[in-house]
Amino acid sequence: MRFQLIALICILSLNLYASDDKAMKELFENYDKVIQQHKVELVDEVFTKKFLTDNGGKEEFVLKVKELPKVKEKKGLGSLLRKWKKSKTGKIFFANVNTEEKVKESPTHQSQFVVIEEDGKLKIDGTVSDGN
Amino acid sequence: MKGLFLIILFSQSLLLHAYDLGFVSVPDMNQIMEYPSDVNPEWPLELIDIAKQDYTRNTKASFCMRPPEMVDTVVIHHSETSSSATPAYINELHLARGTATDPWYMIAYTYVINSPYKGATVPTPLVTDGRPIEIAGAHAGSNVFIPMDSEQAKIWADKKILCGKENEVPTFDATLVKNGKIKANVTTIGVVINGNYAPFAKNNPGGYSKRAPRYPTDKTQDMIARLSCQLQKKYPRMKYIKWHNYYHDTSCPGTIKSYIGQIKTLAKGYGCDFN
Repeated sequence: MRFQLIALICILSLNLYASDDKAMKELFENYDKVIQQHKVELVDEVFTKKFLTDNGGKEEFVLKVKELPKVKEKKGLGSLLRKWKKSKTGKIFFANVNTEEKVKESPTHQSQFVVIEEDGKLKIDGTVSDGN
Repeated sequence: MKGLFLIILFSQSLLLHAYDLGFVSVPDMNQIMEYPSDVNPEWPLELIDIAKQDYTRNTKASFCMRPPEMVDTVVIHHSETSSSATPAYINELHLARGTATDPWYMIAYTYVINSPYKGATVPTPLVTDGRPIEIAGAHAGSNVFIPMDSEQAKIWADKKILCGKENEVPTFDATLVKNGKIKANVTTIGVVINGNYAPFAKNNPGGYSKRAPRYPTDKTQDMIARLSCQLQKKYPRMKYIKWHNYYHDTSCPGTIKSYIGQIKTLAKGYGCDFN
């Protein structure tokens, strides 16, 4: 009985993880599409309302995106998504990306993406500076 | 029976005196947290109002206590969050950021400065306490080791830097020093300016546009200078102002770095001298 209960908990946990993992990968794939391929119609899917407001609104954010060079090939953060974790409260997710690809304006950046759930979907709520 | 009672009473009294006289080591971290620093008894010299904040702490996390005299450097950071982020929110992020094997105790910085970007009016400029100065920060990079001066080396040799968890007997952690150098977090405090002062980039979606770079306002620069000066008046060994990417490769603190010279000049105007 005890063994069955433990097995059930393990299966449920794995399912939850798999579901979050899938959602996180989708989120960062969409993030790439916005940032790299300028598919700005996905902005609302990717970012929280608060994030967009804090960054001057959606229109201003779209203008910023268009300042970056458009990249056709898929070689963005989605494919570089290294790991993510859920906070103990389960309210916040942190996602790390590989830093092998240096960004000229923003050198070896170890910041983490802050991801929260909004309207039943995972969305990026910003980043937080590195340090430890 | 009466004799036994008297013996117990006498031995307890002896033990209490032993603590007072310093013959017995401090029993737990909570008591260390309260040890006073009377470096400059003429304090306070009020240059800035500092708001208090009650932070949630992770009691399962380890932290290191140090005498404030160990600290000689103010390190400037940006939070990379929105400029309207509150100290409590940063604390929440930092608590959530730790892992099961390496949990974070509380907000990594010793002070948080809320200030609008140049040209904006919100949020209201304000300095808020972060983690107490007696607790080593978690901001300069845990693998960054820097040289100690003779006084810092003496404090270290006297085993006055102790680590542990709340309600635990603190212990001496020899790994804080490597090849005669000490972890930068032990001799510095982190001052974070809320906001994202780095450019928009693939890995920094909250960064500024090339059309409108973000700079610290005059008020923010002045607040950093006043706060640093206030700290130097209280802790005369505080003599350097540095910035995060002085210690390792990071975009933090963005454009604020180019204002450090100006901040030192402002601090001079308040009678302080920083290198």
